[in-house]
Amino acid sequence: MGKEAKTKRKFCGNCGNHNAYNYPDEVFCTMRLCSSENPIVPTLWCCEKWNPTSQDCYCVEEALKKKNN
Amino acid sequence: MQRKDLLLEPVKPIRINGKLTVNQLVQQFKNSGSFGAGRLSAACDIYERMVKDEGCTIFLALAGAVVPAGMRSLVADLIRERLVDVVVSTGANMVHDAIEALGGHHYKGHWSVDDSMLYKYHVYRIYDVFVPEEDFARLDYKLVEIYDNIAAENKGKSLSSNEFAWELGKRLNDPSSILRAAYEEEVPIFLPAVRDSEFGFIHWLHASRKNCQHALTVDAFKDVPKIVNICKRSARNGMAVIGGGVPRNTVQSAALASKRGMDYAVIITMDRPEIGGLSGSTLEETVSWGKVKEKANKIMVIGDAMIIFPIVVASVIERIGEDFRRAPHLKRRNFQATGGI
Repeated sequence: MGKEAKTKRKFCGNCGNHNAYNYPDEVFCTMRLCSSENPIVPTLWCCEKWNPTSQDCYCVEEALKKKNN
Repeated sequence: MQRKDLLLEPVKPIRINGKLTVNQLVQQFKNSGSFGAGRLSAACDIYERMVKDEGCTIFLALAGAVVPAGMRSLVADLIRERLVDVVVSTGANMVHDAIEALGGHHYKGHWSVDDSMLYKYHVYRIYDVFVPEEDFARLDYKLVEIYDNIAAENKGKSLSSNEFAWELGKRLNDPSSILRAAYEEEVPIFLPAVRDSEFGFIHWLHASRKNCQHALTVDAFKDVPKIVNICKRSARNGMAVIGGGVPRNTVQSAALASKRGMDYAVIITMDRPEIGGLSGSTLEETVSWGKVKEKANKIMVIGDAMIIFPIVVASVIERIGEDFRRAPHLKRRNFQATGGI
């Protein structure tokens, strides 16, 4: 786990299992799909399987911006 | 050959007098007969001959990202108008066909862009075409369900890539879809490298889910006797190749294995022959293998298929006229709808 990853906030949009879905509000979780759970989750949600992504993306930043507006 | 035989037909200048239809422009190219213009006009002539030859089975080989770039409806229309009889495609082109069938889009972008910014926005780039990642996620989600459904219906039976493609087409409710058109018109569509596309990763998702009861099985080897039989049972065979790669090789190998050789060939590519790869190999080289006949009507056009192929099709449609009808391939070949190939 890199230094940057350690500082990531625990959101689905910062998790290694996310893909874009309804950008920026919702993401698609492949782990949940494989567990036969609803794979579409809020970008700012998170579960106990959260693991930080190495991908720097704008999902959380834009979802937070939208939420705060 | 004598000297006078070398100097039979003068180059005629291209004349643009007022409005020209596509075919009229191609005729001007033919008057020139030179360089790309000459090759393009020859490609139109050869495709016209293929279409008018009732004994010819026309194979369309599709490689390169032509579907995301906008060639989807053109190919679907060719299938519906019976202007091709068999399609052999990369898996990726059919993935992009399915993306649009499920409501996704490809967007006009730019080749000069900050790709790191695209990455952060979850936007993929195919040269100057952009695809949002969510369209792939939607495809994954929907196709996992469709794979479940196909597997349940087929109860463990392994499918050829053609059967798999038809099963997908059956479940995509979009008349502009290539997969849908091929299913409805019973046009064989082969995806020999089906695993090497999002279809392969979707299979991984489908099969690794906790509640997956029947995993879908696709056996690409089952395609081989099917496509070879199509070649073998056709009086003549022709191919229109966009790009090269696995689709071109699949069609040419069928011609080789059936000992028939192609009677007509139009190849549109930007690839070079010097490195020995199939995509750039010349038509003369294919003759050495028996994949294309020595006396075949054949031409390779060096150019962007996104420009060349629509011109070829438009020109030939203009030549054959609105009333021209080609009988369905399976009817002409007297094959049974599904079991005969």
